[in-house]
Amino acid sequence: MTKASDTTLDRKIITFSLGQQTFGIDMRAIIEIREWEEPTPLPTVPSFIKGVTNLRGNVVPVVGLAERLGWEPSKIHSRSCILVVNINGKQAGFLVDEVADIVAIASAEIQPAPDVEIGEPSVISGLIRITVRGKGEEKEAGQMVLILDLDALSLTKHMDIAA
Amino acid sequence: MSDELDEIQAIFFEECAEGLTAAEAGLSAMKAGDADAETIASVFRAVHSIKGGAGAFGHVDLTAFAHRFENVLDEVRAGRIAPSSGVVKVMLSSFDILSDHVAFAKGSAERPNDTAALAALEEILKNGGAGEAGEAPAAPAAATVAEAPAPAPVEDEDPFGFTPVLVSLDDFDVVEEPVAAPPPADGDWIVRFGPSRAALSNASEPMLVIRELESMGAEIVDVDTSALPGLRDLDTEDSYFIWKLIAPGTLSESELLDCFDFVAPDSLIEITRCEAAAPAPVLEIETVSVASAPPVVVDDAFVPIEPIASATPVAPQLRVVEADDPGKPARMEAAAQTIRVDLGKLDMLLNLVGELVIRNSILADRLSPQDQQRVELPELARLTRQIQDNVMSLRAQPIKQAFSRVPRMLRDLGEATGKQVNLITTGDTTEVDKAVIEKIGDPLTHMIRNAVDHGIESAEKRLAAGKPAEGTIHLSAEQKGARIFVRVKDDGGGINRERVRAKAVERGLIAADAVMTDEEIDQLICAPGFSTAESISNISGRGVGMDVVRSNVEALGGRVEIQSVPGQGTSITMILPLTLAILDGMIVKLAGQRFVLPLASVVEAVRPEPGQVMMTTPGNEVIEMRGQYVPVKRATDIFGIADTRKPEEALVIIVESEGVGHVGLMVDTIDDRREVVIKSLDQNLHPIRGLGGATILGDGSIALILDIEALVSHPTAHRFAMKGMAA
Repeated sequence: MTKASDTTLDRKIITFSLGQQTFGIDMRAIIEIREWEEPTPLPTVPSFIKGVTNLRGNVVPVVGLAERLGWEPSKIHSRSCILVVNINGKQAGFLVDEVADIVAIASAEIQPAPDVEIGEPSVISGLIRITVRGKGEEKEAGQMVLILDLDALSLTKHMDIAA
Repeated sequence: MSDELDEIQAIFFEECAEGLTAAEAGLSAMKAGDADAETIASVFRAVHSIKGGAGAFGHVDLTAFAHRFENVLDEVRAGRIAPSSGVVKVMLSSFDILSDHVAFAKGSAERPNDTAALAALEEILKNGGAGEAGEAPAAPAAATVAEAPAPAPVEDEDPFGFTPVLVSLDDFDVVEEPVAAPPPADGDWIVRFGPSRAALSNASEPMLVIRELESMGAEIVDVDTSALPGLRDLDTEDSYFIWKLIAPGTLSESELLDCFDFVAPDSLIEITRCEAAAPAPVLEIETVSVASAPPVVVDDAFVPIEPIASATPVAPQLRVVEADDPGKPARMEAAAQTIRVDLGKLDMLLNLVGELVIRNSILADRLSPQDQQRVELPELARLTRQIQDNVMSLRAQPIKQAFSRVPRMLRDLGEATGKQVNLITTGDTTEVDKAVIEKIGDPLTHMIRNAVDHGIESAEKRLAAGKPAEGTIHLSAEQKGARIFVRVKDDGGGINRERVRAKAVERGLIAADAVMTDEEIDQLICAPGFSTAESISNISGRGVGMDVVRSNVEALGGRVEIQSVPGQGTSITMILPLTLAILDGMIVKLAGQRFVLPLASVVEAVRPEPGQVMMTTPGNEVIEMRGQYVPVKRATDIFGIADTRKPEEALVIIVESEGVGHVGLMVDTIDDRREVVIKSLDQNLHPIRGLGGATILGDGSIALILDIEALVSHPTAHRFAMKGMAA
């Protein structure tokens, strides 16, 4: 990994885990992180839409991100939380297993996504290696983060396909 | 500077739109035979305003056309041209051209070809008011005034006979000399007119008003220059003169007042009947100003007049006529009380009020029962509701605004297709959120075009089928619960299902051997791709732009329903949400979850006796209600939530639906009844069939609002079937 001083750390991402994977979402899209709270279920929607919740007067859909990406549904536990994001002016809450960190990264270091097998390759916009803080002897070890392309995850777009 | 000009110009175009609406309403009334003076005057005023504004912004073509149009209208107004059906027809088509000219000036359309319309108008002018327009008498003599007011003001030709005068200050005396001569005769009107500063800054030229008065036979007898300051203090933007004119007593007060239509309301306008007794002031519009005008201007203005009633019997009588005439007071009030507000600000206000309502009910829920009984809370709730109602009504506009373009379209389409179509409009006063009105314009256009193009048959075909030669389109709007139904119904041939099906197979939208119900085939006309056929006009079934209708309506969170009876016609209904509207709802529990039922559709609730609910076929139940059998739906049917309870343990709420009539919904309990703020699901998600939206309850949790109509009428979801086919 190149030294941080060589490149400008021009972006911040929030990293979180889904199962064994670590994902990142651009900080600018994050509205807030909230505790898991059972949403109001909706009829006739794909199973990855858990329901809707009240976010300061807005009715916001809650999405099981793991299911949306084609994996096993997340199990709800004490560190489960909802990442509320803004996708093209629409709000959505993503259920994630655990929020890890906020990391500054350099856009130049993001590698294009290989054709990852999750149905729609475009969902991953890129890969980046980050160093994980506070892990004792593993200090030097990097970790791969998949950066999500929120536009491609756009619920309404997907809804048309699902419906 | 140019920004400012753009802004002012934007206001001008808004006013144009209003003017055009008013003019069209007036012309339509005239077409229907209602050609009273006020109607004609309203059309005249509208066109006149457009001309005035267009002139100021240098829209030469628009000005020229409006001018010609105005000339004809003026002749009609003066009674020299009878508003016969032929004349009205020409005026209607001229109106269409005028609309196009406005669009052209706005830059949103090509310059219309107005040669034919201009010629037609000219023709009317020649035949109706022969010669008068061209050769005006030099000065309006008393004799001509008595029988008819002087001809239309045609600026170019200057009918008043004013010869260009080299203006020098001395000329003031020269001009004043002759007009000061005639003493007011008994019964003549004395008009005092002092334009305000505001009038001048609105660019209302006092000279035009005075010329108009003069054209009616009035003469200037005096100009009060006492307010005129010295040259050093002279403010070029202020007005210092008060003109005094004498008008013949044969004129009515309202005719005189008409001259002041465009004068800013805080100007001095006094119209007095000259009597043997001392003249009394009859009407002063002096005090009306934007800031202070009370809601009921008429009442207020009436009070000071009463004391003089005995002295001048004519005056109060006229005043009463004024008050009874709905057009005029409204106009005066409108001038005084309308302000333009940025829509964004209104939206912000509406959102905040919505929040306030929610907080209010959260607060109510948190308080102990005895605290809830105290006077402050209901008071607060009442106030909040009033604020909410008021804010809502700010955004609500009569759907008439969207319907107003239809008559014009029908005229155009009638011309293009040779089909004569009558329009019946109902419910055009239904109030809908402005955003909805703006967005249904396009779908409506397509629906109407379809109805005329493909729905209504040719006159020969209609006669052969035993129908009147003229087709009828019924345009209606109606509010039901949280939804507004906008329907275009024609009495044409209905959808030709074989052709539609064949076309859909050809386009690859469906498999050749697909089994489809009639309704599903009807829905095909909305399928994307169906309308893109290059030879669309060869298809006798429908299809032009119907996917536009569907996608626009769905984008609004609504849906489209199509009903067609071969040989009898087709009706296409847009079912739209009243976005952010308030819903009077019943909160019910269904399989443990809270839902809101629109109270408007609830008929009654019953707790069934054992045996009252019977199963007809597996999964289908009916309830016996006073000898009638009403179908019952369970949560299972609706949302696929397991529901195995016995009917006796549940409540059955009988709801009324447009499509199916009465239907029973089986629910667990009724929790509450309250007004809820509708939050649309499509704001962050997409519309879900069966749901009219969601709301936030007092405890902050979300309850889904049931859309009865969609729930009960179509157990199989069409839109999903459609999407599948389209994909």
